Amino acid sequence: MSRTSIRFFLILLTAASATGLMPALAAAAGPGPVTYEVRIDGVRFDPQELTVKVGDTIVWTNHDPFPHTSTAVGKQFNSREIAAGRSWKFTARKKGVFPYACLLHPTMLGTLRVE
Amino acid sequence: MKMIGLVMAMSLGLAATAAQAAGPTDPQIAAIVVTANTVDIDAGKLAIKRSHTKDVREFAQRMITDHTGVNKSAVDLVTKLKVTPEDNATSQSLKAGGEENVHNLKMLKGAAFDKAYVDHEVAYHEQVLGAVDTVLIPNAANAELKALLVQVRPAFVAHLEHAKRIQASLTGKM
Repeated sequence: MSRTSIRFFLILLTAASATGLMPALAAAAGPGPVTYEVRIDGVRFDPQELTVKVGDTIVWTNHDPFPHTSTAVGKQFNSREIAAGRSWKFTARKKGVFPYACLLHPTMLGTLRVE
Repeated sequence: MKMIGLVMAMSLGLAATAAQAAGPTDPQIAAIVVTANTVDIDAGKLAIKRSHTKDVREFAQRMITDHTGVNKSAVDLVTKLKVTPEDNATSQSLKAGGEENVHNLKMLKGAAFDKAYVDHEVAYHEQVLGAVDTVLIPNAANAELKALLVQVRPAFVAHLEHAKRIQASLTGKM
């Protein structure tokens, strides 16, 4: 960006701020990142399928009395062992469909979709 | 085959014992839960020592960790409820069956050990699930005890499924 362009941009920004347009601009950008909870209970992920946006955070909380993991099949994320009563969070940075499982209990499967 | 016969006899014994009684009380249910978990932990400890198969050893470690966790929850709950586990015919039958299983497994090694251990795990989890569904959950009087049984039931289902997968993978390796 040239120096002239930067100056023009700053003038626009100042004008927007002075006329009260700034809040509208902020709102137009949409809400910020969202945090989602996945409950691990009864040897299953709940919900089993979750769709989020890039930048959102997912928190897996283990309600079972023994450890679990939340591990993407393609290894894009891996909680390692989440002890009983503990949580693990992951912020989605890349779009895609990520099937995941508990490495300790192969029957536990879930899918995370990042848009 | 001897091992399968033993488990079948244990299953029948457990069902018969459960049927004879009017239904276990909460202190008796607590003793049955703790014993059922302990029996599987003991078999798992032996498998960790004896087996050289990665899948079998990992499964055994899972049984030790998960059933220890379930037992801790059960003990924490009955302590809170001021319920003292009460030994009974069913818990005694489980304990005796578990000791006999360990005794028989100690005479085996290699692929024969793996097969006998995993076959027993499949049968044992089927047996315990049957007891959870037909005896323990229906007779639990305290709501929190019943809720704990309902919460841990899926773990037994997952263990059974896991054991069956290993059982299938071991077939033909004898």
